[in-house]
Amino acid sequence: MKQVLIFRLGSEWFGLQISCIQEISEMPQLDYIPRAPVWLMGAMNFHGNIMPVLDLGAYLGIESLMTVTKVVVMPPGQEGIALGVTDVFRIVHYDPDDCLPCRHDTKQKKFIQHLYDYEGLVVNMFDISTLIEELKTI
Amino acid sequence: MRVGISHKFIMGFIIVVASIVGFNMLVPLLGLEEYWWHQVFSVAGALLVGLILGTLFSRLFTSNIRILREAAERISSGDLSRSLHLPDTMFPDETYDLALSLNNVNDNLKSLVGAVRSSSGQVAIAAQGLSATAQEMTASSHELSNTVEQISRGAESQAETVETTSRLIKDMALNTELVVAAAGKVLEAVDLTVSTAQQGGETARRTMEGMKQILLNIEQSGEQVVSFGGELQKVGKIVEVINAVAQKTNLLALNATIEAARAGEYGRGFAVVAEEIRKLADSTAESAGEITQLIGKVQTNGLSVEKSLRASIEEMDEGEKAIDLTSTAFSAIIDTAVNAQRRAFSITELSNKQLEGAKYLVGAIDEISQVVSDNAAATQEGSAATEQQSASMEEMAHAAQDLTRYAESLIDKVKLFQLENSLSAD
Repeated sequence: MKQVLIFRLGSEWFGLQISCIQEISEMPQLDYIPRAPVWLMGAMNFHGNIMPVLDLGAYLGIESLMTVTKVVVMPPGQEGIALGVTDVFRIVHYDPDDCLPCRHDTKQKKFIQHLYDYEGLVVNMFDISTLIEELKTI
Repeated sequence: MRVGISHKFIMGFIIVVASIVGFNMLVPLLGLEEYWWHQVFSVAGALLVGLILGTLFSRLFTSNIRILREAAERISSGDLSRSLHLPDTMFPDETYDLALSLNNVNDNLKSLVGAVRSSSGQVAIAAQGLSATAQEMTASSHELSNTVEQISRGAESQAETVETTSRLIKDMALNTELVVAAAGKVLEAVDLTVSTAQQGGETARRTMEGMKQILLNIEQSGEQVVSFGGELQKVGKIVEVINAVAQKTNLLALNATIEAARAGEYGRGFAVVAEEIRKLADSTAESAGEITQLIGKVQTNGLSVEKSLRASIEEMDEGEKAIDLTSTAFSAIIDTAVNAQRRAFSITELSNKQLEGAKYLVGAIDEISQVVSDNAAATQEGSAATEQQSASMEEMAHAAQDLTRYAESLIDKVKLFQLENSLSAD
């Protein structure tokens, strides 16, 4: 049984395996990064480590003007980034067999492998490794 | 020297007796012897003396008497022009007295007749004047009688008019009494109106006070509602804090779960605790949400209450204005009613005065009526008296005419007397 964190980007729900999450925290004071793309919100100090904060909604092109109240911090040293999300819901257990095929467009399809129905809530299961890979290419 | 007739007779006798005696004594001187001759001579001489003396005396006497008789006859025939003159004598006697008396009579008669004549003439003239005057007076009296009759008729019509006036004034007095009664009723009605209007005004004022009290209460309620809203907002803030705490707790629980998962098998119990904490946070958030919803509802209700309070206040304002208007209207009614009261009172007073005046008038008219009827009676009496007077006047005229006639006849009769030659020539 795997556990996933269900969070929200705008009005859409996403799921992320907690094995790749270091911590969830409130949106901290961000430091401005010059010449950064629009989806890079800034840098945060996480227990002494400087981490870039990604506006995931903006990056995925879901909603550009959504509010960001929480950041999901990846473990430092590996991916070394934090994802800004609208809100976090809860951590649930899930069975990959219950997953449904994805029906999203091309841009998001890279990161969304499948969907998960949690008590009637359609959760897009987010593949963080794809995002990391893509970020490394930039 | 005055010698009375008796004395003259006595003297005559004495002379005759003395002559007898004298002759008796003288005759013997003649020388006649014869006695008887003596006697004859003495008797004859005495007789002769007596005859001479008697004749002389009687002639003198009778002539005086004749003169007196003639004078008396003249006087009796009315000739008073001449006075009586007896021949002068040494020894006037009673005939002279008589002559003097007759002359006195003549003079007196003359003056009397003259006086009578002139008086009767004057009387005749006066009687004529009197007659004329009496006739004029009769005419005047007739006129007066006519006038008095007219006055009598006028007095009668005046009496009728006064009676009519009296009736009219009594009617007027009656009407005035009716006016007084009506004015009294008006006064009562106006009094009632005033008291009712005052009660109405009082009620309006009390209603106004009640409205103001209600308004005050509503305003207080509004303030309370507003302050309640403020309290609710405070509660909302507290709920927000609770919510934030719940979110943080949730976050904490999520992180705890992540840590537990990282701990693997050892973190399983911790995961359960984290789950429980998360559930607590959830239920807290849920309760906080419910509270927020409730607060929203209460706030909405409070707003609607406030709105309805505002509407009530506006309506109360309207009501207040209406009551103000009512109060003003009552005040105006009271003013008008008081005015009417005053007027009605003055009408009553005036009517009462008028009534008194009318009563006085009735009394006065009665007196006038009495006086007028007295007048009419007096005028009728006057008319009768005037007629009597007229008759008397006529009688008097007749009497005056009679008097004239009498005076004229008196003059005629007095004309018989001739006072002087010049008068007799007239």
